[in-house]
Amino acid sequence: MAMSSVEVTQGLKVVDAFDLDDELRAILKPGEMVRDAQGRRHRLPRYFYEIASHEAALSTRLTTHFAMNELILNDLREAPRLQQYPRYVPCAVRILAFYLEQFRAACGASVHIAVNGGYRSPSHKLSSDATPHMWGTAADVYRIGSSILKTKELIEKYNDIAEDLSDDILVLPYGHVTGANADDHLHLDLGFVTLIPREISEDRMEQPQENRPRFAFEERRAKDRRTPAAED
Amino acid sequence: MPSNSTQAKERLPIPPAQDSVASAEVSLYRNVLRIRQEHSLLDLGISFYDAETTIQWSYNADQYFHAASTMKLAILLGVFRQVDRGELSLEAPVHVRNRFTSIVNREPFMLDLGRDADPDVYGHLGKTLTVRELAYWMITKSSNLATNLLVDVVGINTVQLALDELDIDGVRVLRGVEDQRAFEAHLNNEVTANGLLKMLRLIADGKAYSQKACDDMLEIMLDQQYRSGIPAGLPKAARVAHKTGNISTVHHDAGIVYLEGRKPYVLVILTQFSADQGRGTAVADVSRDIFNTLAGNLDGDE
Repeated sequence: MAMSSVEVTQGLKVVDAFDLDDELRAILKPGEMVRDAQGRRHRLPRYFYEIASHEAALSTRLTTHFAMNELILNDLREAPRLQQYPRYVPCAVRILAFYLEQFRAACGASVHIAVNGGYRSPSHKLSSDATPHMWGTAADVYRIGSSILKTKELIEKYNDIAEDLSDDILVLPYGHVTGANADDHLHLDLGFVTLIPREISEDRMEQPQENRPRFAFEERRAKDRRTPAAED
Repeated sequence: MPSNSTQAKERLPIPPAQDSVASAEVSLYRNVLRIRQEHSLLDLGISFYDAETTIQWSYNADQYFHAASTMKLAILLGVFRQVDRGELSLEAPVHVRNRFTSIVNREPFMLDLGRDADPDVYGHLGKTLTVRELAYWMITKSSNLATNLLVDVVGINTVQLALDELDIDGVRVLRGVEDQRAFEAHLNNEVTANGLLKMLRLIADGKAYSQKACDDMLEIMLDQQYRSGIPAGLPKAARVAHKTGNISTVHHDAGIVYLEGRKPYVLVILTQFSADQGRGTAVADVSRDIFNTLAGNLDGDE
């Protein structure tokens, strides 16, 4: 195939996750279908920004007030390989940053994304069901200005501000059911948005390279087909 | 140490001992009865082992008490089990979040920020602290938030597994702290004096997983900042690697006492009293008594 799998977009290297090594592909699961809490199926993103170092994450400004670093902070619940650099984050994180910048302006105060509150890989221990965090299009905010969001009043106040910004934004109402509500932070997301950088030619999706399956799950299925089913 | 009261002597069912060890044990027993009476304790459990003389002595040491914060020693053990196995790094970052799940009906709960003694951990809400930092604050300032975060990291089953692997009976860990629903359901962490003694002896002897793990645990425990228990009954020069435990009706301390010129002794003192009474100085008094019995001739500076 003539097209390189690695392109450069606005200073960030874009990678096709199918071209990453086996361990990373197993962690990022590019193109795989996953189910959300309601059982709806969504296809995981395939194109990622590659962030070479912590310094690069700090210095890469997605918007005026949001650096890449803030949206990839994770703790030990993230897959160990993704706690090391180079790190990978779906390209749609740029869109999230754009909305966060609008949100910050509407709040009139700094917006602090929590650890594990930006991108979480499908292998993150908090990723039991598909959530937009796995697309890089969700943010959990624990503090706005000097206010820690731990009361119903504060969370609802900022939920209202976020919802007023755009119909594209969904917030979780105040409540105590994990995944459906939030009671110690504000959750906002844009849904399961996939961004394909303009440098990418999608014909590769239709005609994968020889010996390279289009999606990781196809590889596993192929293996399954080769393995005779065990008899009961 | 104050002399024994006539009343306590009259109640003692043990005849005077002839050899020095037996005499010391009789003396200890008399004094424990006196302290228990003086402080109107509802229950008292003591166990110690002196590596210098190899004397082991106990009083009511297999009775279970509410563990209070002494259970944090078991969490520490569980953490270092995982570290020793390479399954956890002390430098791994942990998201500091005040939201936990009750072991009863899986409902979420938050810690009362005002009750925890450790703003060093609360100040990092929304950020991270490393496993090492959380372990340090869990022990040295008895941070409940750090404790529950570490319970979430290693899992309560791992903590119990560590206790089972090391044959530590007498320490039952069911949950983290401030799980009010579990408390109301009488699902509490419990310890005996002998159980904690076994755990501390393994750590002191370098036998709780690896020598490195034990050294790291001891280093943390030696930085304990609450010193009204065992250390309050010792000379200032004594170094104590220990963990206290306090709720409204119990005051415990469990530690390893290092004195210049002799091997250490391991001591566990568990006390229970009525809620309207307050904790008093029973633990320090017992500690002083045991120090005088074991090593009082080393240093009279109290």
